[in-house]
Amino acid sequence: MEIRIDNLTKKFGDVVGVEDLTLHIDDGEFVAFLGPSGCGKTTTLLTLAGIYKPTDGLIRFGERVVNTVQPKDRNIGMVFQSYALYPHMTIFQNIAYPLKLKKAPKSVQNERVRQVANVMGIGDLLDRRPGQLSGGQQQRVALGRALVKEPDVLLFDEPLSNLDARLRLTMRGEIKHLQKNLGITSIYVTHDQVEAMTMADRIAVMSGGHLQAFDAPDELYDRPKTRFVAGFVGNPPMNFLDVEVSQANGGFLAQADSIRLPLGKTRGEAAAARAGSVTMGIRPEDIQIADDGEVDGEIFVVEPLGREDLIDARVGPHSFILLADTEARRRAGERVSLKFDMTQAQFFDPQTERSLLWHQ
Amino acid sequence: MSEPASYAKSSAAAKASQRSALRSYLGAYGFMAPAGVLVIIFFLIPVAIVLYLSVTNLASSNFTSDLARMEVVGLKNYQTLLNDQFARKIFFNTIFYVLVTLSIFNVSLALIVSLLTTHIDRGAGFVFRALWILPRITSPVVYILIWKRMMAEAPFGILNQFNEFLGQPTFNYVSTNPWVFVVIVNGFIGVSFGMIIFTSAIESIPKDLLNASLVDGSSRMQRIRFVILPLIRWPLLFVVTYQTLSLLTSFVEIQLLTDGGPGLYRTEVWSLTAYHRALSNYFGNAQWGYGSAFAVLLVMIGVVLAVIYMRVFRFDELIAEPRVEAL
Amino acid sequence: MTARESLFEGDKLKVEEAPPSLQRDLIEGLRLGFIGIAIMLAAAFFFSGVVHPLFALGSVEETVTDVLTRLALLAMPFVAYIAAASVARRYSARDVPRALALALTCSLVLFALISAGHYALGTGVFAPRPSLQMSLSQTDAGIRVDAIVPGGAADTAEMQVGDLITAIRRDAVDLAAFNKRLGQSEDDAPLRLRFIRGGEEMQETVRVVLQTDKDLRRLTPGLALGLVFTAIIIFLPGHWAPYIALVGLLSPLLVGYFWVIVATFSYRTEGLVPLDSNDNFGGFTLKNWESIFAGDIAGLEFNIWPILMTSLAIAVVMTFVVLLVSSMAGYALSRMHFPGRRFFLSFTLILHGFPAITLLIPIFIVLLRLKDVPFVGEFIGFNTIGGIALVMVAFQLPLGVWLMKGFFDNIPWDMERSALIDGASRFRTYWEILLPQIRPGLLALGIFAFIGGWNAYIIPATYSIGTGLSNLPVFLNELIDETAPVDWNQVAAVGLFQLIPIFIFFIFAQEYLLNIYAGGTKGSS
Repeated sequence: MEIRIDNLTKKFGDVVGVEDLTLHIDDGEFVAFLGPSGCGKTTTLLTLAGIYKPTDGLIRFGERVVNTVQPKDRNIGMVFQSYALYPHMTIFQNIAYPLKLKKAPKSVQNERVRQVANVMGIGDLLDRRPGQLSGGQQQRVALGRALVKEPDVLLFDEPLSNLDARLRLTMRGEIKHLQKNLGITSIYVTHDQVEAMTMADRIAVMSGGHLQAFDAPDELYDRPKTRFVAGFVGNPPMNFLDVEVSQANGGFLAQADSIRLPLGKTRGEAAAARAGSVTMGIRPEDIQIADDGEVDGEIFVVEPLGREDLIDARVGPHSFILLADTEARRRAGERVSLKFDMTQAQFFDPQTERSLLWHQ
Repeated sequence: MSEPASYAKSSAAAKASQRSALRSYLGAYGFMAPAGVLVIIFFLIPVAIVLYLSVTNLASSNFTSDLARMEVVGLKNYQTLLNDQFARKIFFNTIFYVLVTLSIFNVSLALIVSLLTTHIDRGAGFVFRALWILPRITSPVVYILIWKRMMAEAPFGILNQFNEFLGQPTFNYVSTNPWVFVVIVNGFIGVSFGMIIFTSAIESIPKDLLNASLVDGSSRMQRIRFVILPLIRWPLLFVVTYQTLSLLTSFVEIQLLTDGGPGLYRTEVWSLTAYHRALSNYFGNAQWGYGSAFAVLLVMIGVVLAVIYMRVFRFDELIAEPRVEAL
Repeated sequence: MTARESLFEGDKLKVEEAPPSLQRDLIEGLRLGFIGIAIMLAAAFFFSGVVHPLFALGSVEETVTDVLTRLALLAMPFVAYIAAASVARRYSARDVPRALALALTCSLVLFALISAGHYALGTGVFAPRPSLQMSLSQTDAGIRVDAIVPGGAADTAEMQVGDLITAIRRDAVDLAAFNKRLGQSEDDAPLRLRFIRGGEEMQETVRVVLQTDKDLRRLTPGLALGLVFTAIIIFLPGHWAPYIALVGLLSPLLVGYFWVIVATFSYRTEGLVPLDSNDNFGGFTLKNWESIFAGDIAGLEFNIWPILMTSLAIAVVMTFVVLLVSSMAGYALSRMHFPGRRFFLSFTLILHGFPAITLLIPIFIVLLRLKDVPFVGEFIGFNTIGGIALVMVAFQLPLGVWLMKGFFDNIPWDMERSALIDGASRFRTYWEILLPQIRPGLLALGIFAFIGGWNAYIIPATYSIGTGLSNLPVFLNELIDETAPVDWNQVAAVGLFQLIPIFIFFIFAQEYLLNIYAGGTKGSS
């Protein structure tokens, strides 16, 4: 089922949930809505589900405008963060509930529920109640209930955030696998960028009720179109620094206080085209501690992450987050020299926050 | 959005959306309907009727339930009320009854009981509080039956038996101390309300705060004085206003215990007078109009205080917008 | 090791703590004791000198202030002992002799002070007492007059030394009974004495006089009581005090309910003592219960079953209607979006605060009019169980709606959304998904409504006047009002019979009961 959202606005009184959102989702596609809490991603999802009515704009499932269609007539399945299993019903009754409401015959209900339960690996839990199940099992029941009526669209509202880290990894794989096999158009709301990056075909990054970017995961990472996207996608997050870019001796130079970084032609030209200072972004993995670094600084804090150390290095008033090998055993207070891989640097307009490199 | 085609589309969508909104509102009103009908029949219409009755001379002799056939006499009932030699006494009786019962039982004793029960073992505290509920869940008739035996004359009365045991004189309490028992009997019912409110207020004080004050060096008495009491000022105010109204309008226990006597209006209160005049055959001739004039004053006070509770006691915070819109 | 910095300059804060001193503790104890005395005196003055005259102006005939004044004066010495002993309690664990010496000294001084006050003012134990102004002693033949004050009451009545008093009027007395009778007499009351003089039975009327008696020996019981009380106070474990206070405050209630139970199973009672037909202790019987079912109490004939059914019907109808109507409205207010929602919410709150009982008079008219409505009037009009139940439903509705709304508010929104997406209508969501999840709320409100209906008195009594439709409380009141003499033990049995379901709820649902009274009141955070 193809979903087309055009100029969607949803307000609660004066509070804007989402504003002027336009998004076209292809049939069978797995789309993630990514953003910090309060960015409007859940509002959009609930509007798609028919729980909220759009203030303005159009939502089409295929060719059909569904703005005023009741949730039960949209043929959607939804998995909630809290799972929303009915505590007074058994697992069987929970999964069978959508079929019961469709007035499906008992035998059909029975058969379908068992099939779904077997696919989800919860076939032996059907007589229990939700309270007796672990978080992971409840998650599977919720998914089974969403799938049992063969929905055209599957909606996920942060379904994995209540699970422990290990289980989350397993379920992530299972949901992605299931979605690809069944080919159901799916929308997945999350604030965890790793989930979005690993599962989605395309990611819609949202902030403050506005769509920031809608692209494939690696596009978002390598070619962020706004400063927000650059900062939100990636962990640890990108370092930002206001610099002056100037042309000197046939090359380009990005400069902030004592920091002077030579720059390649393409990036240099694009950045220099904007008069005044620009915002430079550089990912932690693109800064190395090296003997021949361009910039001298001092290590302020070392946070061991296990596989590597997260280092906060200070250069004058500026702070840079970078990753270093644990073998190097860096210590706070140590003076180091930093080497920047400027071929990966991003540049943004400080006013509009748009990328100076990738804007259309 | 300025294209005509898209404009037309969105206007059609707007119409459809209006229709669906209307449908969902009708559903909501359906849910509200039974409660609404009962409220109209038993609250709104009666308020209008009592106002109307108070300007008629409806009595047993010319009784009719047909509002159109009642005889309107204007403010005559209110004039009679102002000139009634006993209305003054009943008015002061009511003030006495409310003030004394409220201050001794509904507030002070309630506060003492809630402080005591929150400073002992949790389970025991709960049992003691539960026992205080008994008068409230006992039918007034049975409750008053118990008190009648309590204050009966020797040798039957329980109190007089204690008096004899201690070598003290015995009394006919009904005639010597009617007010004492009217206050005690209503007070013992009234304790539980304040007790519950205060207890939940005390228990909602963060444990860390209570422990911190002990660590900072205060004794338990000082903690009550400097931490707990200042923090429950708001519930205290609420109990005072709410129970004032309850006491003003409650009369059943007094009716059963002394029926306003002994003698002429010794323990008669305002709400009991309204009941006596209009609904009880005590005077032989039920004066509906005159009784309603008494009731109207209470209705007015009730409305004013009820609105005040709503405004003062953080009503807005209690209202959250619903988060499902569709139907 | 890094050097520690100090937050403040200068030396560490020191508070001087003096070594324990008996003299200082004594002064401290007495000071607290005086404060206790002063507070109680002030309270007594406030009641009798301020509150009483104020209400007397409004011609209120009350004795409450009088009782409060006496209580304050009676409690005064004990409050003073407790206040003084609070100083001694500091030593009660480690230095017993010191604690005792301190507390008893304080109490002695305070007692002396209070007694001096009584002596000077002629109050308390030194108050004037009724007297016949002769001294008596008990002998086998009667009470012998040993001496007579010349010109006193006995002398005036021409009593003589050597008279043997046998009775007051017709009541035979010994010395104890004589003194008790005398003690209860008022000033100038006539006492007709029978006595034997020289083997001949005679009568004289002696008039009681109030005589000031400043005999210091009267102080002994008070002194002993004070010292024992103080000794108990200093060694009483601190955590017992709240329990003692709580039991003390509750005791009238406990005693009252205890009486109902005792009275029900005994032939007759005097106070709390069950007696058999010969006025001896005992007399366990089931006859009070039998007569309930036999339908005859003190000559009033009745059939308990229709009364019981009426009671049950009112309670059950009321419970179901309250639950249904409140939960529907509560659901709409909690979960639905419609114009006027804010108005309905605030209106519910206003009704919640409004005393519905003030509308008894006009509702009488409303019920009479409902009776005229075709068909429906048969069920909900004046003098029908339905009408009575509906009035009470309406009165409980503001509480019920508010309570139900609160319970619905606590169910996660996702539950509702999930049901809607699964394909349920709003009514099905309410009925199948949400109602089962607020079972505790329904139970609490249901119990509340049932108790309300079961106990209902004033509404059934008012709206079914003289037509034989009575429930248990109305019937019980009829028993008390219309039988003479009232057989209190049989009445108690009916009362306990009515109380049985209440006790059951009380034992098994205390938590719900406490919760609903808390939940039923907003602003209790």
